[in-house]
Amino acid sequence: MAFNYDKYLRLEKMPTLWCWGCGDGVILKAFIRAVDKLGISRDDICVVSGIGCSGRFSSYVDFNTVHTTHGRTVAFATGIKLVNPDKYVVCVAGDGDALAIGGNHTIHGARRNIDMTLIIINNFIYGLTNSQTSPTTPQGMWTVSQKAGNIDPTFDACALGIAAGASFVARETMLDPKKLEKIFVKALEHKGFSYLDIISNCHVNLGRKNQMASAMENLQWIDKITMPKKKWDELSVEEQKNIFPTGILKEDKEAAEYCDLYAEIIKVHQGKRKPLTQNDFAKKI
Amino acid sequence: MGTAMIEYPGNVPVWVNKSNCKACDLCVSVCPSGVLGMRYDSTSTLGAMISIDHPEACIGCNECELTCPDFAIYVADKSQYKFAKLTDDAKERQAQIIANNYMSLDQKGVK
Repeated sequence: MAFNYDKYLRLEKMPTLWCWGCGDGVILKAFIRAVDKLGISRDDICVVSGIGCSGRFSSYVDFNTVHTTHGRTVAFATGIKLVNPDKYVVCVAGDGDALAIGGNHTIHGARRNIDMTLIIINNFIYGLTNSQTSPTTPQGMWTVSQKAGNIDPTFDACALGIAAGASFVARETMLDPKKLEKIFVKALEHKGFSYLDIISNCHVNLGRKNQMASAMENLQWIDKITMPKKKWDELSVEEQKNIFPTGILKEDKEAAEYCDLYAEIIKVHQGKRKPLTQNDFAKKI
Repeated sequence: MGTAMIEYPGNVPVWVNKSNCKACDLCVSVCPSGVLGMRYDSTSTLGAMISIDHPEACIGCNECELTCPDFAIYVADKSQYKFAKLTDDAKERQAQIIANNYMSLDQKGVK
């Protein structure tokens, strides 16, 4: 029997509100399959989403869900995780949500290395509000807010995650649903902040004025700008500039997790241990 | 109340929930053996609807089901249906369907 998604969906919301051929649906399906593969109970997982097309994600899954304000997904999720350290917390945000408006929350979630999964659905544009420039919009593309061509330099989401200290950083595209499912399984299993940059398409709002108005043309463009990490490493520095590496870019299983450290603080207040000092940490400064 | 999956109708490799299909061409583009195609349909939102033209050629690779963003297309299990092997004819038909802008070969594909 084909995989039955009905168990995990809010069926009264079907069909989805996303445009035809939107990668968000492919990502949603891969995520549901990953949850099913790990055998996580629907009561043990919380999906937090912000504003944008990606924000609809939490409306369709029948888990514990919170649809929060713009860019504050990681902030809300941090609170949820600290109260429920044994549950899975997943944030879903768009590129504008996680990197522009919620940029500071993303940085500090990653820095604290709190055990949650941040899925950034990166479609290179503010799609819901009709094509304004987002931090990842490639230079030279037409947007509503920069009709003469976008001059803002393009942002590499994974470079931010690595620099901020997330312990699991990976990039995948929606072109390969099987790889997507595997990366979700790894991210959910990882203890620490899992930072996923999932490249998706928006042929309606990005593609319409940038010569890729159909889903397939947009996907061909995504195929052109991405490359597996192994192949990418062999390229010269000049060639690497215009191509995103995909796959696991950073995995650190040793990094201290925030909920574990917070448990020590709780012990201090219960009088079960002395206050923490610099000697309790491997890295002093 | 809406639904995602509809029951297996029996004796078919692929079945579709047409109320969810948005005619985005993704499933047609990933099929290796030219099973699927789009067909003009004035009653559908985007003016086209998926059609299963060559069920006998389906190899059961599951790609269309994985790629469909809208929970619309489903592929039978290997235990439910005896799938065909990938042939050169099927590959050629798939190339023609893609050249025909993802439309079934008896439809006129316009870009």
